[in-house]
Amino acid sequence: MTDHRTRSPLMRIILLLLATALLTACSPPKPPQLQQATLLPSAKPIAGFNLINQKGEAFTPDDLKGHWTFAFFGYTHCPDVCPTSLGMLGRVMRRLKESMQPDAMPQGLFVSVDPQRDTPEMLAKYVAYFYPDFIAATGDPAEILRLTRQLGILYIKSAGDKDNDYLIDHSAAVVLFDPDGRFHALFNVPHDADKIASDFLLIKNYYEATR
Amino acid sequence: MKRRLTLLLLSLITSVAAAASGLLVDGAWVREAPPGASMMAAYLVISNPTDRDARLVGVESPAFAHVMMHKSATVDGMARMLHQDSIPIPAHASVALEPGGYHLMMPAPETPLSAGDQVEFLLHFDDNSSVRVTAVVRKKP
Repeated sequence: MTDHRTRSPLMRIILLLLATALLTACSPPKPPQLQQATLLPSAKPIAGFNLINQKGEAFTPDDLKGHWTFAFFGYTHCPDVCPTSLGMLGRVMRRLKESMQPDAMPQGLFVSVDPQRDTPEMLAKYVAYFYPDFIAATGDPAEILRLTRQLGILYIKSAGDKDNDYLIDHSAAVVLFDPDGRFHALFNVPHDADKIASDFLLIKNYYEATR
Repeated sequence: MKRRLTLLLLSLITSVAAAASGLLVDGAWVREAPPGASMMAAYLVISNPTDRDARLVGVESPAFAHVMMHKSATVDGMARMLHQDSIPIPAHASVALEPGGYHLMMPAPETPLSAGDQVEFLLHFDDNSSVRVTAVVRKKP
């Protein structure tokens, strides 16, 4: 009789279960199945930019750190797509607020790509209409470009009769920054607030489990 | 006569507005402008139960200096607004002017409109018929 035959079948099953449990615990969690978000293969650090927030203060990469940030790029003269997207992001915030601690809530950022017409004072009132905690940023066109070109966000002036009467074509995507201030995921249109909120929670859990 | 009466009753009950040509306009609303926004958008649904293709060729309103017809479209991830000279309303079809698609664009009036206010629009079609509709201002994202 060899040794292993002396082990009872029950003992064998217990050993097998233990081994499986150990293997499962040691293997990394699987990336989440997402409905709307596209995760970057690896989160992308964002290099320096100097913008102005809605209070007229500096807004730099440091302001993206320590919390998650949803960002949308547009302009206040846009009557259809921007209010629709910001209203949708407001719904994402309200949905997340139901289940998240206030200090863990992501921040919602509107970046105006129209500094010629959008001032910090205007932006402060504009974004608060959609969600009281929303923040905004704009600034020197070169500084806006320093941020947007790292994200693949595009914008260009289009049709307009007069100098100050123009439209802007702009990327419709919502960008997600992680608490390290890195470009982490992208939400393409069409946007659905419920799906974005649930994707965000999955992304956040996965991020925390794989740190 | 009976059909006319039905349409009249329908328009009274549901605020559907009808043109002499048989086009119906329903569900008109204006998005309340967020503070600081200089432009506003209005939305409605136009139904064409007739056998003839129609076009919306112009819109005016006593509440706004002018009303433009636009279409938002997202192409390759870029949201753009395209000016429309007219909007086709094919026979036996309904065309919705809705967020993210066709819409009316107006400069915000000096006295801001708030949710609950009502404004009138006069829609002109290519057969020279017109429809007058009342739109409600709504705070809707």
